[in-house]
Amino acid sequence: MISLISPSNIFHWVGKLISFINSIFFILLLIALSFALIFSPPDYLQGDSVRIMYVHVPSAWISLAAFTCIALMSIANFIFKTKNLTIITKSIAPLGLMFTCLAIVTGSLWGKPTWGTWWAWDARLTSMVILALFYIGFIVSHKFILYEERANKVSSIIAIIGLINIPIIKFSVDWWNTLHQPASIKLSGVSTIHSSMLMPLLLMFFVMLLYCALIFLMKYKTEIIRIKKKNLKRL
Amino acid sequence: MIQNLLYMNGYGLFVWASFSITFIACAFVFYKTQKTLKKYERDFAKEINDLSAEKRKLVVENSKIASQVLSSYSKTI
Repeated sequence: MISLISPSNIFHWVGKLISFINSIFFILLLIALSFALIFSPPDYLQGDSVRIMYVHVPSAWISLAAFTCIALMSIANFIFKTKNLTIITKSIAPLGLMFTCLAIVTGSLWGKPTWGTWWAWDARLTSMVILALFYIGFIVSHKFILYEERANKVSSIIAIIGLINIPIIKFSVDWWNTLHQPASIKLSGVSTIHSSMLMPLLLMFFVMLLYCALIFLMKYKTEIIRIKKKNLKRL
Repeated sequence: MIQNLLYMNGYGLFVWASFSITFIACAFVFYKTQKTLKKYERDFAKEINDLSAEKRKLVVENSKIASQVLSSYSKTI
């Protein structure tokens, strides 16, 4: 089963998937942007500034999901010691960092017209900055620790410790009195967002997920070639 | 209509800045990732081509990835 998902077996499909996503991505992006910027209604309280939600919320979701994936795969890597998992986590981390930074910056741009300030050291915002630091730690450990095995160990430990921060981010708005509003979309329970805003939000989320898949696959392919190149030198 | 879209009742600066920063960051990461991938593919194919005929045959026969990179590289040149 594990051999089926080995790099050499899926390499061909990675290339095909990249081409497929490339072919549909820009059409979907245009549709999603039209809904986010033109067709979705302004909020009764926040006005048009609510449109920032269509980039801010998907970025935040992706940053949390990416780190959770990295941490869970790092735990699996500790147990099974699979090289493929290291390649996957290494490919996801830069994407996660970028979306964490985007969530912070767009959140700040949303905060100014809504709260009257660019930044506040409140629980949600501070825990997101801590998440960015965990991402930086993970990436830096792979870049600057020369011995690959040691780099994997250090980065895995960083990811596993960082996993504690994920529920803190998620529930920070419930546990502490913060400027940040509580979640409007709930997997269990009734969402408090109108469908005219939910639809563009989910569409933007889907487009951003496609973008992540595209970058992840390209980075994954690059990593595989880098390893093969290294092996070639041994000949 | 275009003026309304740009101005957004006074929130245009914040909304357009958010979308622009996101778009620029995503485009930059895409460009850089694609460039790195192409460079690695090119270098890898070149290294295989530089091997002796015997070694090249051995590599291509034993590695699916090497043969795929080599064939896609030879298509592009």
